[in-house]
Amino acid sequence: MSTDREAAKLERDMAVPEVDLRNEAKGIATWAQTDGENLHPAALEILGEARRLSEKLEDKTVTSIVIGKNAEKHSKTLIEHGANKVYVISDERLLEYQTLPYVRAVVDALRVIKPEIMIFTASAIGRDLAPRCAARLKVGLSADCTQLDIGMYVNRKKQQRFMHAFKMMRPSFGESKLATIIGPWNYPQSATVRPGVFAPLKSDSSRKGEVVTFDPKWVEEDWLQSVISVEKGGSRIELEKADIIISGGKDLGREGFDMLKELVESIRANGQRSELGASRAAINAGLVSQDHQVGQTGKTVRPEIYVAIGISGAVQHIMGMRDSKKVIAINIDPKAKIFDVADYGIVDDYKNVVPELINQIKSGFTFELDK
Amino acid sequence: MSELKDLSIVVLLKQVPVPKAMKTKADGMMDRSGKSMINPFCNAALEEALKLREKVGGNITVVSMGPPNAKQSLIEAMRKGADKCILVSDRLLAGSDTWATALSLSSAIKKYLPDTQIVFAGLQTIDGDTAHVGPQVAEHLGFQQVTYVDKIEVDGEKLKVRRFVEGGWETFLTPIPVMLSVHKSANTPRGPSLSAALRSSDDKISVVSVEDIGLTKEEVGVAGSPTIVSRVLNVVIERPPVVLFNEGSAKENVSQLLQAINAKEEAN
Repeated sequence: MSTDREAAKLERDMAVPEVDLRNEAKGIATWAQTDGENLHPAALEILGEARRLSEKLEDKTVTSIVIGKNAEKHSKTLIEHGANKVYVISDERLLEYQTLPYVRAVVDALRVIKPEIMIFTASAIGRDLAPRCAARLKVGLSADCTQLDIGMYVNRKKQQRFMHAFKMMRPSFGESKLATIIGPWNYPQSATVRPGVFAPLKSDSSRKGEVVTFDPKWVEEDWLQSVISVEKGGSRIELEKADIIISGGKDLGREGFDMLKELVESIRANGQRSELGASRAAINAGLVSQDHQVGQTGKTVRPEIYVAIGISGAVQHIMGMRDSKKVIAINIDPKAKIFDVADYGIVDDYKNVVPELINQIKSGFTFELDK
Repeated sequence: MSELKDLSIVVLLKQVPVPKAMKTKADGMMDRSGKSMINPFCNAALEEALKLREKVGGNITVVSMGPPNAKQSLIEAMRKGADKCILVSDRLLAGSDTWATALSLSSAIKKYLPDTQIVFAGLQTIDGDTAHVGPQVAEHLGFQQVTYVDKIEVDGEKLKVRRFVEGGWETFLTPIPVMLSVHKSANTPRGPSLSAALRSSDDKISVVSVEDIGLTKEEVGVAGSPTIVSRVLNVVIERPPVVLFNEGSAKENVSQLLQAINAKEEAN
């Protein structure tokens, strides 16, 4: 768009009357997920993003809500990573996540904090908690966002101009599209965001914050479920933490995936963090378990190095790995879409390339990583 | 302790475009005129409902919201064994976000199926991917909920349900009424059976409107949705063109590739 047209559009937009429906709502709140013992990495990621977003608001307060048994022990970490306030809801019955007590805690806290924006993590637990909180608060919720912003939103039909609308962006399935969701009519404007997408702030022990011990009005009927067993370590696949991800597509078959596993092991033998990834088609073909899935319905990853082997590059897969620092594609089909998003590539059968990769890594090649 | 039996079960079911036919219209809404299917997660939910009914008896009503052509998926659900269906279908519903969708579905359940004890839902749909509707219907109905479910057993008057969490599973005992949202890894859904197919019929689908379920046009569709899609952008992937290493033998290509990866980028 030319500058003239942009200027003309801005002028038309600015002619629409400004409305502000926030009333008392101000600042940003985030939910800091724990696993009973430790903070989930995404707790600090969304806090970092909240801190960055808060620069665009008049009230820059970021409040973190942390729930669990001995939840107060996380306050210091949350403050050092950007929280101005920490609402601590500590209860010994909350070692494991339970929906209704958590919903009670979050909703009660939000009714006191009254933020204009609320951010949850789109983890398995967050995706259980957030929609129910939003329904109880009678506010909208945008799911699995990958980008967030605050800015002007003009609705010509309603003749409304909002200056601080929360813009929640998420990939739209099936196409390489990014949809922006907004809802500046109800507060808090709420979103869940994907783990692994945003970067946490560097810990800074000079940051100061206020810790509020918060007691929700517990209701007995919220406690009717009981956790009778916990199976940990169902998945030890930590795709989000790997520096080098080796991913395979369906056509590799079992034989190919065996080779990829050997490649991952050879990188690990150099002391580097590597994991096996896979496309949705490979998961559906039963070649590896679902916790290896990279892509829109799997995990979003951004490793230092992403190696896509025999992956054609469906949009859904690309959405899950396009923020990787360096992408290497190995595919026999020179027209494969994966080459459009790769930095380096080899057009060849994986059967020729992968053994050679393993060979050279075992003979001493080590990936140089920036960190 | 009494046992659960003769359960009144609802399965929430959404018809979705087949993945290859998925496209958005100019207004950013999903085009639902092409080839469709039952959302795979809803199919897994229906399967769990059928298995539960086999164990303890009861009846299964499928509740769906969508255009009139969603009937084909409801017929399919009856051919697998669902007893009857309710389709909430109305032009006023267009543009509903998850909040308005959950309100509509739960209003239909409250009005036509007030004795419901268990609501099964798919964890999420493959077109919207939000995973919101199950928990939000549970909130409107005041039910317990368990999401990401992959195992269900009857335990006296309660259900023993396993759910996926980060890095493992938790098994809950939950009372009813409850909403269970099912992961598609829970089972392999059955196909149609002859006996069920013979019982299925168009007459067993009640098509109801917004007015029928006691809502107004202000409560549904775009008007009743707290969020809207304000814009849809094409994703531009910003990467320089790929550098290929194809000239030599596999060995040479791989070593050139590895060298290039480790080469420090020139400072600008």
